[in-house]
Amino acid sequence: MSHELRNDPSLLERQQARMKWQQQKQQSFFNASDHTMQNMFSTSMPLAQTNETFTGLLSGHNGLDIVKPDPGLMEDWAGFGDHLSYGYMNQNSIMPLGADQSFVHGNSVSVSTSVTVSVSPKKRKADKGQSLEVVTEKEKKLKGCAEEGDSKITHQNSNNSDKATGDNKSSNSKGASTNTSSKDKSKVSEVQKPDYIHVRARRGQATDSHSLAERVRREKISERMKYLQDLVPGCNKITGKAGMLDEIINYVQSLQKQVEFLSMKLATVNPELDFNIDNVFAKEMFQPSTSEFQGLGCTSETPNPAYFQLNSLDQVYCGLDMGINSAEMALRRSLTAPMSIPETFMDSSCFNVISSNLSPSFFQL
Amino acid sequence: MHTSSKQLKKEFIKKWVKGLEICCSSNKKMDVMERKKKIKLCADIALASAKNATTSWSNALIYNAKKDDENAILVDNLLGPESRFNSQRTAHQMITFHKRVRSKRILKKSCTVSQRMKKASPPASNLATCIAKRLVKKRTQVLKKLVPGGEAMDEYSLIKEALDYILSLRVQVDVMRSLANATEVLD
Repeated sequence: MSHELRNDPSLLERQQARMKWQQQKQQSFFNASDHTMQNMFSTSMPLAQTNETFTGLLSGHNGLDIVKPDPGLMEDWAGFGDHLSYGYMNQNSIMPLGADQSFVHGNSVSVSTSVTVSVSPKKRKADKGQSLEVVTEKEKKLKGCAEEGDSKITHQNSNNSDKATGDNKSSNSKGASTNTSSKDKSKVSEVQKPDYIHVRARRGQATDSHSLAERVRREKISERMKYLQDLVPGCNKITGKAGMLDEIINYVQSLQKQVEFLSMKLATVNPELDFNIDNVFAKEMFQPSTSEFQGLGCTSETPNPAYFQLNSLDQVYCGLDMGINSAEMALRRSLTAPMSIPETFMDSSCFNVISSNLSPSFFQL
Repeated sequence: MHTSSKQLKKEFIKKWVKGLEICCSSNKKMDVMERKKKIKLCADIALASAKNATTSWSNALIYNAKKDDENAILVDNLLGPESRFNSQRTAHQMITFHKRVRSKRILKKSCTVSQRMKKASPPASNLATCIAKRLVKKRTQVLKKLVPGGEAMDEYSLIKEALDYILSLRVQVDVMRSLANATEVLD
């Protein structure tokens, strides 16, 4: 309790307000009039996968009638209020199937409430990356069962995560990251009965096994984002995921538009005739003596035999290593000064164009 | 990465020229728009086949192109018999994706009550992250539409495919631009 005094009063107020809010929420779902029961629910009530555990809980206190939780209700619980659901789902992930009811029975309400109050201030004070300290011995024991629980959870609580599918991680790895938005969640979910697993190692992180898997997924994604910073121009200053995605989208859109524009340009610049010439040239490549090449004059004779010594297109394409821009230079040179065209600077498409355009120009000469 | 882009360029040009030749062997009179479409189609298919079925977006691109009957023959000719493109696998992926989408929708509908409760009282500290999450979601949706076959992918592989797609698009743009410049020079 002394911890509380050290804390800001606002934090305590917040916690109390939250507890009240939770209790109000509880009332809308359960008709439990018992205040202690509500407290139990709000702090550490496990929504057991098996009805036995749940009924055991209820029967353990005040001898209430056995209430079978509606499976649909459990779904609602899952979707309801982030922090609550995370807290509950965490409980679920802890509890192995066929859980020993003695766990449940062993807890008294007063213990849970005291744990509630005393644990949370500690948590609040603690650094985000240091809540490992809170893990108790019993909790460590149950960690081994968490994996088994995880696999069950992924099937049941699929509405919590649309992405994480059957990721089984040990509870230790859950502490790998921080989630600033779930401060509220942490306060509720971290407040637990001492003999349940504290699977979250970090404070401020959502406790769901799904959120764990999502966390891992998110880290993978942020890795990829780093590659993107090199790839997409102008991304060096942007750090957020949304901003990066925006840049990627803009870049992809601009590239696609460029492709459209360039294909339109090629369509207008090259009348249909050129395509035929491509075809003709393709034939001519394998037939050294043709009328068209005879018309090209002496300048074409030197490269032509050299060219036809290259038996396949592949050797022509090795000239691509010099960069296609240099092909343009070669083209310009061939127009101005008829010299032997170095075939290493050409690719076949340029050849096609050259052949079609050189023949008229040389005829004029 | 530099060498792979060169390799990609070579493959791309080879296949593109081949595709253009196939296109023009039909000896049809084409207007500008048709020519442009053919050029673009050949370029896209050439780019996708240059990837040799290693990436998902290339498979999706080819699959979508094949859906169109008039292009299917061209695509088949362009791909050649040695192509590793497996249309059945891509079709199967598409079907499973649609099934998944449908089941997600059903699940979402069953949880509308809980969603309404969620919206009723978001704590103030969560508001910024809610907005951020919504932004990210919207943008991933847009990205999914941009990248071919993106709708069927989860977020992580979407980004991976987007990276690869960007690289290939760059190659395509470089080649096409230099060709366009070359023809400009000559005219």
